[in-house]
Amino acid sequence: MFIDVHVHPAFYEPIRADAARQDARHELLGLYHNGTAPLEHVFNQMSCAGLDRLCLLAQDYSADSAAVVSNEEVARLVGLAPNRFIGIASIDPFAPGCLEKLERAFTEHRLRGLKLHPGRQGFYPPDPRLDPVYALCERHDRPVIFHSGLSLEPDSLAKYSRPAEFEELAYRHPKLRICLAHFGWPWVQEAAMLMLKYRNVYADTALLYFDSAKEFYARVFTRDLEITWIDRSLRHQVMFGSDNPRFEQIRMARALGELGLRESSLELIKGVNAAEFLGGID
Amino acid sequence: MTKHASITLLTKRYNEFVLITERVEEALRESGIQEGLVAVISQHTTTGIAVNESLECLESDLGLFLERLVPEDLPYSHARILPSYGSTAGNPTGHLKSHITGNSALFPVVGGKMLRGSAQDIYLCEFDGPAQRTINLVITGD
Repeated sequence: MFIDVHVHPAFYEPIRADAARQDARHELLGLYHNGTAPLEHVFNQMSCAGLDRLCLLAQDYSADSAAVVSNEEVARLVGLAPNRFIGIASIDPFAPGCLEKLERAFTEHRLRGLKLHPGRQGFYPPDPRLDPVYALCERHDRPVIFHSGLSLEPDSLAKYSRPAEFEELAYRHPKLRICLAHFGWPWVQEAAMLMLKYRNVYADTALLYFDSAKEFYARVFTRDLEITWIDRSLRHQVMFGSDNPRFEQIRMARALGELGLRESSLELIKGVNAAEFLGGID
Repeated sequence: MTKHASITLLTKRYNEFVLITERVEEALRESGIQEGLVAVISQHTTTGIAVNESLECLESDLGLFLERLVPEDLPYSHARILPSYGSTAGNPTGHLKSHITGNSALFPVVGGKMLRGSAQDIYLCEFDGPAQRTINLVITGD
């Protein structure tokens, strides 16, 4: 089982919206040349990458704009391909009714986790205003994927999502599984630090900020970090993610396989860890 | 008289040769043009339009020939984030193969049919798939 835990479906054909909302999606995401992708194309891409499942992330910044991709839209996509898609909810934690929205996402829409973007939504992860959100996730045994490190989205600040900012949250909520998306780049050693100490902290590999996938993965995972750190110590907490369509899903999947990890570590990173993080795969 | 048409298709692989001869002929028939020219032009910069013999062995040879000329793992300048796209440009090899292959083909139209040799077929060459691709056709004549 090969799972990409970090995919944004804003430009998938079944949820294509009117021109104004499509334009807003481009602007809010800072992705300016994405055409609409028929699901058949998405499946072709999965096949080329060798992927079995994609986690589709909703994105809700509704405190100051419309949801980029709503929980309902993600649920609709999952309904079209339940054997390929896993839905992840989103709320704006400062929008009225956000807890009810999240409850509905977990119960009615059966979404499997929550995505939050501290840098875009303007909060530090241990902010007590988020405690009810985290409590709800714990009550439903749902994990949280946090954007961490640099974000290329407009109006987002990296200061909120530096990995070290997550320590208090990991410490205070040891039963809450959290993922530092993008491995917290450029602070990948801080991310590794947290993962070493807190077993409820995961990270995904959705990072391709310079160079080719092969070059950048080699840089981050064999020089900024030692590959042995992943292969020996963190292998149960790293998950494959691509941040597609911003980054290159197929080439990143290939680059992961060329890092020199043990086959058993690759199996964990490709899917076993994601299944555990998500609390099981249907 | 000039008629415009297009072919849209989904490619399935990273590098792939997709035969489009029949779809061009179909568009030509629908145009009603009997004498003139048909131009086949890709709308993309990581595809090519090629004319060659439709044989599995040749497709393999052509693919390997391009791979030797344009290896995947060289340090290409185009491997970077493009601010105007907001995404990575991981496809330098596609652009280079497209550059080598060219993006168009031209055939005479005689008696309502493309005048082509018995070994000549038209390919869309995919160099950065899978993707949705559009090929524009311009059929001009009488």
